[in-house]
Amino acid sequence: MEALLRFGESIVALIIGLAIGAVILYYAGYSPWEAYYQLFYNAVLDKYGFARSLAEAAPLILTGITFAVGVRAGLFNIGAEGQLYFGALGAAIVAWLAYRMPVLNSPLGTIAAYALGVILASLLALIAAVLKVWRGVHEVVSTIMLNWIAFWIVEFMRIHYLFDPHDATKTIPVPPGARLPILLPDSELSATIIVSVGFALLTYYLLWYTVTGYELRASGLSPKAARYAGMDPNKSIIIAFIVGGVAAGLAGAGEVLGRPPHYAITSGLSNLLNMGFDGITVALIGANHPIGVIFAGILLGVLKSGASYMQIFAGVPLEMVRIIEGIIVIALAVPGTLHMVREYLQRRKKLTQLREQEAGKSHGFEGSGLQPSGAQQQ
Amino acid sequence: MAAPSGSLLFAIGVLNAMTPILLTAIGEILAERAGVVNIGLEGIIMLGAMTGVMAAEAAGPWVGLLAGLLTGAALGLLHAVITAYLKGDHIIPGIGINTLALGLVPFMLIVHWHSAGQHQVPSYARVPDIAGYISPVSLTAIALSVIMWYILFRTPWGLVVRSVGENPEAADTVGIHVERVQAIAVVIGASLAGLAGAFMSLDWLGTLTKEIAAGRGFIALALVVFSNWDPLQALGGAALFGFFDTLSIWVKNTTLKQVVPSSLINTLPYVVTLIAVAGVLGRVRPPKHVGVPYKRE
Amino acid sequence: MSGRPAPRVSMRGIVKIYPDGTVALRGVNLDVYPGEILGLLGENGAGKTTLMKILAGFLRPTAGRIIYEGHPVHFRSAAEALERGIGMVHQHLALVPVFTAYENIILGLPPSIIAGARKRIEKLMDETGLHVDLDQIVELLSFGERQRVEILRMLFRNVKVLILDEPTTNLTPVETEELFKALVKLKKQGKSIIFITHKLREVLEIADRIVVMRRGRVVGEVPRSVAEPRLLARMMVGREVLFKIEKPRTTPGQVVLKVEDLWVRRDIGTWGVKGVSFEVREGEIFGVAGVEGNGQAELVEAITGLRAPERGKIFLLGRDITGLGPAELYRMGLAHIPEDRRGTGLVLEMSVVENSILGMHRWERFAKGFFGVIDWRAAEEHAAEIVRKYDVVAPGLHSPVKHLSGGNQQKLLVGREISKNPKLIVAAQPTRGLDVAATEYIRRLLVRLRNEGHAVLLVSSDTDEVLQLSDRVAIMYKGEFVAITRPEELSREKLGLYMGGAAATA
Repeated sequence: MEALLRFGESIVALIIGLAIGAVILYYAGYSPWEAYYQLFYNAVLDKYGFARSLAEAAPLILTGITFAVGVRAGLFNIGAEGQLYFGALGAAIVAWLAYRMPVLNSPLGTIAAYALGVILASLLALIAAVLKVWRGVHEVVSTIMLNWIAFWIVEFMRIHYLFDPHDATKTIPVPPGARLPILLPDSELSATIIVSVGFALLTYYLLWYTVTGYELRASGLSPKAARYAGMDPNKSIIIAFIVGGVAAGLAGAGEVLGRPPHYAITSGLSNLLNMGFDGITVALIGANHPIGVIFAGILLGVLKSGASYMQIFAGVPLEMVRIIEGIIVIALAVPGTLHMVREYLQRRKKLTQLREQEAGKSHGFEGSGLQPSGAQQQ
Repeated sequence: MAAPSGSLLFAIGVLNAMTPILLTAIGEILAERAGVVNIGLEGIIMLGAMTGVMAAEAAGPWVGLLAGLLTGAALGLLHAVITAYLKGDHIIPGIGINTLALGLVPFMLIVHWHSAGQHQVPSYARVPDIAGYISPVSLTAIALSVIMWYILFRTPWGLVVRSVGENPEAADTVGIHVERVQAIAVVIGASLAGLAGAFMSLDWLGTLTKEIAAGRGFIALALVVFSNWDPLQALGGAALFGFFDTLSIWVKNTTLKQVVPSSLINTLPYVVTLIAVAGVLGRVRPPKHVGVPYKRE
Repeated sequence: MSGRPAPRVSMRGIVKIYPDGTVALRGVNLDVYPGEILGLLGENGAGKTTLMKILAGFLRPTAGRIIYEGHPVHFRSAAEALERGIGMVHQHLALVPVFTAYENIILGLPPSIIAGARKRIEKLMDETGLHVDLDQIVELLSFGERQRVEILRMLFRNVKVLILDEPTTNLTPVETEELFKALVKLKKQGKSIIFITHKLREVLEIADRIVVMRRGRVVGEVPRSVAEPRLLARMMVGREVLFKIEKPRTTPGQVVLKVEDLWVRRDIGTWGVKGVSFEVREGEIFGVAGVEGNGQAELVEAITGLRAPERGKIFLLGRDITGLGPAELYRMGLAHIPEDRRGTGLVLEMSVVENSILGMHRWERFAKGFFGVIDWRAAEEHAAEIVRKYDVVAPGLHSPVKHLSGGNQQKLLVGREISKNPKLIVAAQPTRGLDVAATEYIRRLLVRLRNEGHAVLLVSSDTDEVLQLSDRVAIMYKGEFVAITRPEELSREKLGLYMGGAAATA
């Protein structure tokens, strides 16, 4: 029942987002019908378009997991962006190494790239975790700062060490032997979607089927009850940050290992930008539940991939989708209160019921009032 | 008039760099003193920058600054309704505003100015500086930090605002309208962020870009903590951040550039922020009820 | 009744039912006259605070009406009541800790009144004898001084009815004297003062008239000339016994819990528990009675591993458990029914099944293998058994616990704790806020556990409960056990006296 309500909220928010988006499109001189038609038709019904949607969805599902796991532990981890950059960095470093160590031009290289990416991303996440637990730094501030720091560090590495001698605007591409297999020939869709969905399912399992996940959820819902039960909420905080870091690291590494045509990090990290932030939208739409995140990720993948079709065929700038995203998030901040209104009405109803009960009782209300002075009550 | 010396230019650079952060921080101090956190400052800066340019190109720089202010006020009102009145989460609407801005600004750059990345603000729309170098907005910001300090700590209304952030139950008991106070504080706070954005596009940088805020909204949030929710201390903190911000630009233009790569220099403001906020634990005291929606029985 | 002025306040038929179904007031009539100090006497849960909160506008009555100065009133907020002249000083003061006394007093007043306020406040301080350093930060003031600030704040707004809720709880004897002197002065000015308390000696000293409440009703009214401690104690604590529970004689076995000279601090730094020592044996219920706030919470927290004691030792079955955490204690056979079942004992958003293993989730029964995979089937069986055994009414095993009624939540909690097959059961306020049926159920359950040989530590501010269920009972007052005795040897009057701090330590 609760899940159904929450699903409904997400649908309502989506509709509001599209509706207001349509108004903006109209006033900007575009045809909303044409724009949305091109968006959805191409991104969903066309085979290659849908493959592209899934390719876009893959990293978003993972960064959505980053935020969602944080929320489950009672945090606001918005550091997926920076952790994703570091994930990509790890893969780019292994790509660079692969040209000097041919053994890496193979699935071994793929594994090494993922591993390094995950480690780097987790370390970044760990900084925010430690700052929170040890110095009480609110993670919203620390993760944003770390995002920017990570951006410039990766740019630094790209420009000075990892650049492709043939094309200095990007890093050395991953050698063919280490790349992720393409699932649909001639499309952008690679095994990254499998990694993403797989990790999301793994996270679901972790949260609901293991002791660690149970403690994490309990600490997020009620730190007092968690302590009563002998748990240490700080432990759960750190675990949540690390899981989030792993997810974002997988996303970043995956974009390098599995995204044609570049298989590299491009100038200004342009092929990685905003995937972390989009993860927040995905998590919110998906109600911070790994399964919901999968579907929400695909939805946003559709929107993003559809955006380029919308641009090509209806002339609408890509950023329109981000506007719609923002409106959806704002709308999601509000409907929770529909819940509160419902609760309030329920309470009122129960109150009237009880009043009728009490009034119906046999002895009614004792007018136990004043005693004349001097009398004693037995 | 002789060209100003290098160090004077540096000082003016610091002044410019600190202005948007200072304005935003002063505004957020007011909001947080009333117990409301506004994460959407980043987005408000961006949107203020954008509407500022739009208005300035139509009616001059002062109207532009006003437009930025009003844009902030409108967004602040939205945030206030969601947090103070509807008792919604304090952080999610801010994330939404940021995302919205990240989309709307580039969108309008294309649709309105037909430019893909940035738009040069024409000189007639730019805010005239005093003696050609010092911005009236900067001076206003410094004055505001004193004024806001005075309002918060020396007037009855400031007492009311602070009571709402410290102990809304106590404020409620003596008849203070908690939600209304919070809404006013948030609207004023967001207006200053919008003004900060307009300052950046119309005055300091003279351009409108997709990444104009570059994390300044969040740096302002950190500054609020770092200055212990005191507008006067924010003055010092903003100067500090402005210093590092300008330093990184400056270093890139000198021979040091060969030694220290510019991309690493760019991390400087963020690293400093992080260290500052981490180092300050235990010595700062937030308003007791900040970030917690006030629910009555 | 001639010659008596009309009452300033008349409350008629006041009923209060809380949203979760608790009935706090069952139809109360009360009159308050100008120029008097009215003592409102009763135990925890009697309804005195609720009644006054309604008068002062903090709560709305479910039924009934209030007539103030001849006109019916419906206060929509405390601020409105305050404006009309009714103010309440709570037990937990509503001041802003970081502001000075002066700032708290003038908070929220329009600038026109604030002009020259300082002089007027100083005059007020002289008139009443309630002096305080106006420029000192409230956080640093003593409790007595803070209270004076609150009272001054009310007086500065010209209240005509001043309600004080348990004002002497944290005052020194000297401060209490000064407060009383001030109240008498205010009474002579014609103000109405309502003094809520559970302390017999004080109410006898200060009140002109004493109204005694019990379980949401007014039991009686006594003028000072007639009142004396034993009479009041009997009225407060009552004669009827709600439920008769069979308690066969048992011979207590070995010592399960041993507490030696325990000293525990509160969060704010003062002492909560001062040198308490006692033992609990197998097959007995050891009760701790006393009005809430005298250290019971800290005592329970220390024994259940949630708060480390400063001094002293705790032994469970001979092992020193002082300072150990809850996880270890549960493994060693401790069960804890916390006083805050919704916030601490259960995770409301989680399901019945998930809550049924809270605290045991790491045990081999439910967590298998190296990675700690939860065996939900075992947990479901476990939960189903609890639900069956203890008659827990729930929409389903997987519905969130917040949808259960208070009584069912408590049954689930208690069932869970008992399922640990514990050696010691610590039950803190186990029936608070529960309806009659659930209350009876839990009480019978505790006695059954005792009969089966478990050791039970029962901490409750419900004296009926403690006396009925305990084999031995200690009365706690200001952090110390003022008496440890058998309930049979404790007359109602003596109990009331102990609880009110009026009797010398045994």
